[in-house]
Amino acid sequence: MQQAEQLKQDLDYVVGAVRRHDRSAGVPSIYFMWAVIVAVGWALPDFAPQLAAPFWVLFGIGGGLVSMWLAARDTKHSGSVDQAHGRRHGLHWLVTGAAFLVCWLPVMRGAPIETAVGNFMLVAAISYALAGVHLERPLLWTGLLMLAAYVVLTMFAWPYTWTATGLLVAIALAWAGFSSQRSRSPVHPE
Amino acid sequence: MKALDRLDSAFEHRARLAIGVLLARHDEISFARFKQSLSLTDGNLGAQLRKLEDTGYVALRRDFVERKPVTWYRLTEAGRNALDSHLGALQSMIATATG
Repeated sequence: MQQAEQLKQDLDYVVGAVRRHDRSAGVPSIYFMWAVIVAVGWALPDFAPQLAAPFWVLFGIGGGLVSMWLAARDTKHSGSVDQAHGRRHGLHWLVTGAAFLVCWLPVMRGAPIETAVGNFMLVAAISYALAGVHLERPLLWTGLLMLAAYVVLTMFAWPYTWTATGLLVAIALAWAGFSSQRSRSPVHPE
Repeated sequence: MKALDRLDSAFEHRARLAIGVLLARHDEISFARFKQSLSLTDGNLGAQLRKLEDTGYVALRRDFVERKPVTWYRLTEAGRNALDSHLGALQSMIATATG
């Protein structure tokens, strides 16, 4: 009986250690960087539509590369390497990037630019929400916010919807960054 | 009991079992991260890791992160097989005990 109790305590200890280790709420610096990119990039269709596409090509790809570098740096600092997890992240955002590019196809075939930006919002909403479900929970709320914005954008012709949505998403991302920062306990090198 | 024979003494200590399970879930984990996850002192953690290293179940590499030395640990193939077998034995024991 005593041996069974000891075994139970040992397994509780192992489960506790694994759970403590598994908390992943994302990398704060990545959230903050995208909050700035989104706030600027999503205001462009309202204020300077001709700059929106070049901005997203430059900062979309650049932001993705910087995110990869920040994630790799964070992995080293956190003291835990999980290549399968990293690959999952990489594939998720690579597919999202490809979907963003495909959003421009209707415009290239003569459709009005609003078609592309609407699709862009929907793709972003689904991608962020699914990232929240499968990868980092704080992104779920950002994705749902974008989905609501897509509905507003499609159903009503409100002025500055893109700017307002961009600001809301930026606030949501900044909030995710702060909550991620709070939930972390620093790992000091040896 | 047959399951008892499959228990591996290297994983009988709960800290070493936790180290094995954590390494089975992640490719590499640093000493500092282990210390934080397992709430052990440097000396105790070092001794447990050394024991796993001596059995050939865990391999280490040394690296620098921002000029500070960091030791990374990973499970070897032999360690993964031994852990699988040990966990299987534990499952059998629990199943037998609970009927």
